[in-house]
Amino acid sequence: MPREHLLKIGVSGIRGVVGEFLTPALACAFAQAFGTYVRAGRVVVGRDTRSSGEMLQHAVNCGLLAAGCDVVDVGILPTPTIQIYVGATRASGGLALTASHNPPEYNALKMFNAQGLFFNNYERSELLDLYHQSSFRQATNPEIRSVSQDFARPPEIHLRRVLEHVDAGRIRRSRFHVALDAVNGAGAVMTPGFLTEALGCRLDAISIDPTQPFPREAEPRPDTLGDLAGLVRRTGAQVGFAHDPDGDRLAVVDENGCVLDNDDVLALAVDAALRRLPGDVVVNLTTSAVIDDIAAQHGRKVHRTPVGEANVVEMMQAVHAVIGGEGSNGGIIFPAVHLCRDSYTGMAFLLDRMSETGKTVSQLAGALPRYYRKLGKAGYEHGKLGALMQALEESFPGAETDRSDGLKLMFPGAWIHVRSSNTEPILRLAAEARSESQMEELYGKVLRLLEG
Amino acid sequence: MSLRISQVGLRGVVGTGMTAAHVLDFASAFGTFLAVPGPVVVARDPRASGVMIREGVVAALLACGRDVEDAGVAPTPVVQHSIRRLGAAGGVSIGASHNASEWNALKFLGAEGSYLSTAEASELLDIYHLKKFDFVEWNRIGKLRPCANAIEAYIDELATHFDFDALRGYRVVADCCNGTSSLILRRLRERFGFDAILINEKLMGVQFAHSPSTTRAMVELQLAPLIRPLKADAGFLFDVDSDRVALATEEGEAVSEELVLPILADYLLPRGAGKLVITNLSTTALLEEIASRHGGKVVRVPVGRQAAIDALSSYRPEQIAVAGEGTGAVMMPQFRFVYDGIASMLAILSMMRERGQRLSEIVHGYPRYSILKGQEPLVSQRIPALLMKLRERYHTGKANVEDGLRVDWPGLWFHVRVSQTEPAVRIICEQRGEPPRELFDALLEQVRSFA
Repeated sequence: MPREHLLKIGVSGIRGVVGEFLTPALACAFAQAFGTYVRAGRVVVGRDTRSSGEMLQHAVNCGLLAAGCDVVDVGILPTPTIQIYVGATRASGGLALTASHNPPEYNALKMFNAQGLFFNNYERSELLDLYHQSSFRQATNPEIRSVSQDFARPPEIHLRRVLEHVDAGRIRRSRFHVALDAVNGAGAVMTPGFLTEALGCRLDAISIDPTQPFPREAEPRPDTLGDLAGLVRRTGAQVGFAHDPDGDRLAVVDENGCVLDNDDVLALAVDAALRRLPGDVVVNLTTSAVIDDIAAQHGRKVHRTPVGEANVVEMMQAVHAVIGGEGSNGGIIFPAVHLCRDSYTGMAFLLDRMSETGKTVSQLAGALPRYYRKLGKAGYEHGKLGALMQALEESFPGAETDRSDGLKLMFPGAWIHVRSSNTEPILRLAAEARSESQMEELYGKVLRLLEG
Repeated sequence: MSLRISQVGLRGVVGTGMTAAHVLDFASAFGTFLAVPGPVVVARDPRASGVMIREGVVAALLACGRDVEDAGVAPTPVVQHSIRRLGAAGGVSIGASHNASEWNALKFLGAEGSYLSTAEASELLDIYHLKKFDFVEWNRIGKLRPCANAIEAYIDELATHFDFDALRGYRVVADCCNGTSSLILRRLRERFGFDAILINEKLMGVQFAHSPSTTRAMVELQLAPLIRPLKADAGFLFDVDSDRVALATEEGEAVSEELVLPILADYLLPRGAGKLVITNLSTTALLEEIASRHGGKVVRVPVGRQAAIDALSSYRPEQIAVAGEGTGAVMMPQFRFVYDGIASMLAILSMMRERGQRLSEIVHGYPRYSILKGQEPLVSQRIPALLMKLRERYHTGKANVEDGLRVDWPGLWFHVRVSQTEPAVRIICEQRGEPPRELFDALLEQVRSFA
């Protein structure tokens, strides 16, 4: 039995099951450590629609005020919108209360620096030390500031930036018929207006009530998007979009009601970005080789990083990448808008390409080089990981290897990637090949090794 | 000492003593402690730190599955009234009432708006120390909603007890000390034409116009000199959360804070069936004299809110005429025994009207008592020996050792007790007539000899 991680306090912040594990006192203390670390000033706080969000936001406000911060409450908003607002308003930092795609009983604190970027690894470990030392700034009565609210400006700033990078007039003239599943998450407050008012689409939407619980599993995957696929088929929509609860990830359903592979969604965004701007591409090790093919078509280079948004963002900064992301989790990062996962850029790019080419979603996706992928997970015992990786490497002699995040073995037209999860005590497996049979063969071989 | 965690709750200097972590834990303990279902009412006084503390209190209560009714900035008596009106499970009043602005505190209130009994408060304290809180699962977390008309509803109740038409003839000057009383007084003016001139009425988070203690010295500072120029009938000074009051007469004379309770006892004893006056050992002996005039009796208990509350609960409500301290904090049965400075003010004005007397006439109608109060630092270790020695030395009087030592002679008494907030002893000495200077100085000298 794998041990369940009901609370995790680490370099990624705090994540846990709310109640017995993720308590208001913990959230308050972590926020006070954060407020101490960013040396007070204005700190932006927003959240997704989880039922624990309001409670935790008050706890976080308490900790920030106790550290002498001015708190700017932006309410329920997508994570990228909060990040962009932090950077645009020159705040000292920001906190988002969201457990992203995790189930509703979870919540977490995401931390942003003054630019609205995730803390890098050095910043995170400094903050963690501060938290463990409990050496917080304790503001006295005259040093305690207050909580102000700004609900209107963050969406304006975000969407204005996105629209600068597409031909919004052409999209509006196309009068697209779009379907949406916002999982009753933070996207519910912003996406309907974005699609109808800003982009002139006709909208059929489900799960856009932020007061209601998540009606489906929070992660947008082919097996969780049946309702959206049905909506597309029933209404004859030309495309369907799906969010996760904090609105940073995007999943796409084509006009036939088929859910696109997330790597293909990223590939379409990479294509759209490279058509507009020159520069390199950054993706994680588990992202499909289709990205390499698309970049090659534009004569651009692809850089690979360990899994994790922070790793991708760090590399994107280093190589001044034009676009990047993580295929499997639906993250599209377009720095010209902001160095964060942004589903709004993803939606705008796809609608822009549709209006530019007159092609359907299935036609655009069908034009991508075809790969077969399989993702999975397996339990493992602590202490066995090294031996496992060694055995894996030995059973595929001649493969090119990358050990920067677990083990990735690369063959002509195919690869395998095995790594331990950052968030759960499991191994994540991925295999990709040009043909389905080769992919199944590789994946099966890894599984047998793990089980043996 | 900048932090005190006791049965009275949590009190401290914010930042140096009291931190967000204390607030979260104490409020979580309260959420765990509450047994009856229902929401919890939360309000604060205007201190800047109250914003921070409120966030923590709200988070903890929501996490315990309680809906929170947020009354914003409001006086403690309003919180207590809202608890009754809404059938709430309890309430938290955030504010350090008569303490300086850098202090803050959490006052916990039970169902019906009552203060917690000593037994309940000990249980709360045990839960706090155990740090095992009953947080609910994610889908049962409470909701926060504004308790919008808390002040209006409280004023509606005041209007059922007091005849505002009749009180309209009086002009009062009120020193709000930048606290919550201004919120009520302004509305009394607007709704009933109540003629109140307010000073220090702006809510302030950091700097109060003066120390918020309801003492004669504070009345003399700004309020008393304004009474005659403004042709007012009385002056009232409120502490920051409006549960205490001090007085000035129409002549501009600052009245001892000791007199608020005797005046109200004099008013309330002949009006109802209740014949008991509950007060502490340090409060003026004038009370006994007034009580005997009306066939009443004074019950004296140790100093501190907790002892008074426990004493109240050992009688039937209808037996009690009034309860309070010599600090200007008075509870009346018609307000279900809640310290309420605004109601105290209205009762005194009603008394003036019913008797056709000016405030100075009422005050000077009582025999003169002179009280001297002092304080000396002393290490706790030396206290028993000091009390023993004093008891031997003053063996001619009647001794009471329930709270330090009180010794009574006809027309003269002293009380030496240990402060609950500082490492010091308090010395109170009162005599019918002239100040008991000689006894007071002798006591001071003996306390100092033990230091």
